[in-house]
Amino acid sequence: MKYIFDLNTENCVGCGACSVACMDQNDTDTERGEKPFRVVSTLEQGYRGETRWSYISVACMHCEDAPCIKACPCGCLFKDEETNFTIYDNTNCIGCHSCAMACPFGAPRFNEEGKMVKCDGCNDRVKAGLKPACVKACPFDALKMYSEDEYKQAHPARGIHDIVQQLLRQE
Amino acid sequence: MRYAIVGFGCAGFNAARAIRTEDPSGEIHVFEQTGAPPANPMLTTYYASEAINFNAVFPFGTLEEIRAKYDFVIHSEVKVAHVRAESRELVFENGSVESFDRILVATGARAFVPPIEGYPSDHAFLMRTTADAVRLKTYLDATPVRKAVVVGASMVGIKVAELLLNRGIETVIADFAEFLFPVAAFRDVAEELEERVRSRGIRFAWHKGVAGIGERCVRFSDGTELEADIVCLCIGTRANTELVANKEVVEGEGVRVNRGIVVDEHMRTSVFGVYAAGDCCEGKNLLTGETMIIGLWQNAGFQGDTAGHNMAGANRVYRGTIPHNITHFMDIYFIGIGDNRAIGEMVTYGDIKGPLFVKAVQQKGCLKCVNIIGSSEVGGILKSFFLKQLSSAASAHLPTVQRMVLMKNGLPADFIDLLEGGLR
Repeated sequence: MKYIFDLNTENCVGCGACSVACMDQNDTDTERGEKPFRVVSTLEQGYRGETRWSYISVACMHCEDAPCIKACPCGCLFKDEETNFTIYDNTNCIGCHSCAMACPFGAPRFNEEGKMVKCDGCNDRVKAGLKPACVKACPFDALKMYSEDEYKQAHPARGIHDIVQQLLRQE
Repeated sequence: MRYAIVGFGCAGFNAARAIRTEDPSGEIHVFEQTGAPPANPMLTTYYASEAINFNAVFPFGTLEEIRAKYDFVIHSEVKVAHVRAESRELVFENGSVESFDRILVATGARAFVPPIEGYPSDHAFLMRTTADAVRLKTYLDATPVRKAVVVGASMVGIKVAELLLNRGIETVIADFAEFLFPVAAFRDVAEELEERVRSRGIRFAWHKGVAGIGERCVRFSDGTELEADIVCLCIGTRANTELVANKEVVEGEGVRVNRGIVVDEHMRTSVFGVYAAGDCCEGKNLLTGETMIIGLWQNAGFQGDTAGHNMAGANRVYRGTIPHNITHFMDIYFIGIGDNRAIGEMVTYGDIKGPLFVKAVQQKGCLKCVNIIGSSEVGGILKSFFLKQLSSAASAHLPTVQRMVLMKNGLPADFIDLLEGGLR
């Protein structure tokens, strides 16, 4: 079954629980300079005389035709046939950052050895019938994982998935 | 349907795979000359520097693995002498002829070597093919080398220089150009990169056109010489277009060739049923609207994929791309996007000597060129925005998600406003 991540920006309050859960799940060692796969940002903008805040939680979007897969010169990135998550085997990664150059969302990270690491959608958890750590931790149902059918039925308003699709079509 | 794919690199592989997804029972014949699976030319320096093992140069696996997975008929070490485009026939070196319904020319590119006195030589090296990488590595492993000259201040040249430096070899990069990465970097950015590379021990010699290779030296057209136990020629590439570029096409007009084989957004050449993809072809440069060879692994992949689907009857479009590069050398990341000769309004962020520096040139609020030292995350988003501007309007804004990630990676809001043309 293919899965889709989506963020309802109306519900996101930028609490960061998803990012903490991600770091915990992936043993991200921030003290050694490792960056979390999922980051939460706040944007303050003026709008018609008022100040507005937006919150976004961003990690790999697991794009359908993921540009990072074609960009990787070493064949390290590929799709999981079951979940459709963009997963990787970084054994042959040369640390060239071509994947990051292809990614419109700054998703790839690089470990101490210089090799690419990234959000794999908690592929093992999902295959075992569990929710991704970030989705499980979200207290406001902002971050969700849908099956393709569920997504078509729900088609959530103000979801980030649509924006992603639009961006990829322009590339 | 019978399909022929001439050349089996990134584009050829992606095309064959795409055909198989569209046409499960079609006969796919792949003709390749090396006896090896598709290799990535970019990985040659990584193999020569021992960063990866030999098998890793072939990112799609072995020929046996590819055969087993995709059911292609792979004709290894078979030389196609000529493509008769109008009749869609391949003429082989032994004189035999076979006809096909669709033909893809994916013959790639080769290292360019201008006329040089004394070349070829046992101590002159290229860096394009797997064989080139093996030859250099084998030589370096077996032979004491004290001094080297790398001709070409290119992305390949800098990687070759780095691997020589790491072996303790005194290395000079020489180029006819005036500065490093002359087709990608702004001059001040190139000079900063040069300073950083110099501090690691590599020297540069500018305005030097190579004229000859001697026993232990390289001679330049201005009469000067540099001592060199080995010479590495990283001058550039030329598209392999000869198969279709000759005059022996059966009837009608031949395949249109400029520097590369000219294709449209469907990867069709000017002759029906004949497609081209990868480094041998000219797709659209979205910045100029003209066709141009943009020799990038990802571009070849998209082109091959598009060609394959369309050869099997689909209607896929690949709009094209813009010149862009990311180069990693000596712990430095340099990104160049667009045309570094563009003249316009300039915006910069950061200290050029600091960890993150961005310089962009815009015309009427639209990006024309971006140089970045330091952050690939910023590079990916700005490339995406560059393409968005080209596909929509000058007033295109960054979606909030991209703006936030740029800010998270250190770019301030007011600089992002400037990149958007100051319209926000």
